[in-house]
Amino acid sequence: MMKLVRSAFTDIGHGIRMRRVWMALAQEDIGDQHRRTALGPAWLLINYLAFAGTFIVIFGQTAQSPDYPAYVAIGLFVFFYMIEVINLSVSLFTREESFIKGTTLPLTVYIMRMTAQSAIRACYAFAGCIALLLLSGTPVTSFWLFSGAGLLLILLATPAAITVFATLGAFFPDMNFVVQNITRLAIFLTPVFWVHQNEGGIQGVFYYWNPLTYFLEIARVPVVAGEVPLRSFALCIGMTAVLWGLAIFCLGRFRKQIVFVL
Amino acid sequence: MVSIDVENLELRYRLRQKLSFAPTDRRIPTGGRIEAAGGRRYVTALDGVSFSLQAGDRLGLVGPNGAGKTTLLKVLYGIYEPTGGTVAINGKVDALFNINLGFRREATGRRNIELRGLINGWSQDEIAARMEEIIAFSELGDFIDMPFKTYSQGMAARLAFSIATSFQPEILLMDEWIGAGDPPFQEKARARMKQMSEDAAILVLASHNMALLQSTCNKILNLENSRVKWFEEADTYFG
Repeated sequence: MMKLVRSAFTDIGHGIRMRRVWMALAQEDIGDQHRRTALGPAWLLINYLAFAGTFIVIFGQTAQSPDYPAYVAIGLFVFFYMIEVINLSVSLFTREESFIKGTTLPLTVYIMRMTAQSAIRACYAFAGCIALLLLSGTPVTSFWLFSGAGLLLILLATPAAITVFATLGAFFPDMNFVVQNITRLAIFLTPVFWVHQNEGGIQGVFYYWNPLTYFLEIARVPVVAGEVPLRSFALCIGMTAVLWGLAIFCLGRFRKQIVFVL
Repeated sequence: MVSIDVENLELRYRLRQKLSFAPTDRRIPTGGRIEAAGGRRYVTALDGVSFSLQAGDRLGLVGPNGAGKTTLLKVLYGIYEPTGGTVAINGKVDALFNINLGFRREATGRRNIELRGLINGWSQDEIAARMEEIIAFSELGDFIDMPFKTYSQGMAARLAFSIATSFQPEILLMDEWIGAGDPPFQEKARARMKQMSEDAAILVLASHNMALLQSTCNKILNLENSRVKWFEEADTYFG
């Protein structure tokens, strides 16, 4: 067990020392994705605003809550980030096959490259989210700091989630399609634009048993309700710890085998 | 003292039946022996490989396709972890495998040099120090600040070669001799490769080109079916 943990931390340590590599590659990735477009990465902001605006206009009237724009703005921002991370990480090692088979770069470099890329992309949507909060008259309070702590926790969980899903994707290629289908449905099964009113039924089941719910709440509740969702924070810290435990196991156990399964 | 000591090296990995909904697993390894044990399939890519090299040695790896030459190079480089035996290496190992790996089409030649340098583990100072020499050797001139995608095949190959060969290796691993560009550049490339192989304390070169091996190497390791068939002085092998 100690050997496994040491192996994982060797990879992580080596990857962190090579941070200039993954930061540079992440910046290039973002640039390449929008290089030929007139608006560049601003499309990320436009995409977010288009979705959030549509949800606010269409569902805002039936929601009958003055906080609904803030509810959707934060919910969509966090949801899009998490879904993008999960979707892209499943095929991460397959996409990096030629590098993995041709260089000695630690797997952490690929994992952190994707983490940095997702975080940079999220910054554009984040600007839109802040704009929507201010435009909708959401009061700026000290509770926003707890929301910021929630976002940091999500960021902390990101490399672990990428490691786990990327390893799964390497050993189980069909995982790509499984995850794609689940994440397409997830927007309906997660309280992104619908508000849970403490009623039971199937909506209650999805509300309570969907782990994404709690990651949404730690970023959303402090701003929207002006309170700290301690239970959600505790659950998210627990889930992040479990994810990191799994990630360390995956790295330690499989990092030298990944090259043989691609 | 730069050296390589390989003792009873084994590389055996499980050929995993991928967890897939596809009816059959069509993956076939590119080399090695496939064996079945306990309902599982294993590939023995290297088996009982032993040899020692000291500073000044130039080892030629020969053998048919799939014999284990590239696999052995990748074990020495650290891409594959041995499953048995020991590999003790003193000295910094550099490899010239796929020199075209990782070029960014949208980035300029200059930016590609920086990125390749970072991937190779060079410091910012090392990148800056080598930049002008790489640009000069590649003969790209003002094109160095144009996107890589605008380069002809020959220009791209010249840049790749110039970056890949701009370091001073202690131990150099090569999977076939590399060359690039039009005839005048090929001559320049040949001269640099010769210089590199002479400057390296140890050279390990996998090739099918016997004339090249005879002129470059002092030792030959012949792999066949993942095992060492011969390991002897080049003069004896070619004699």
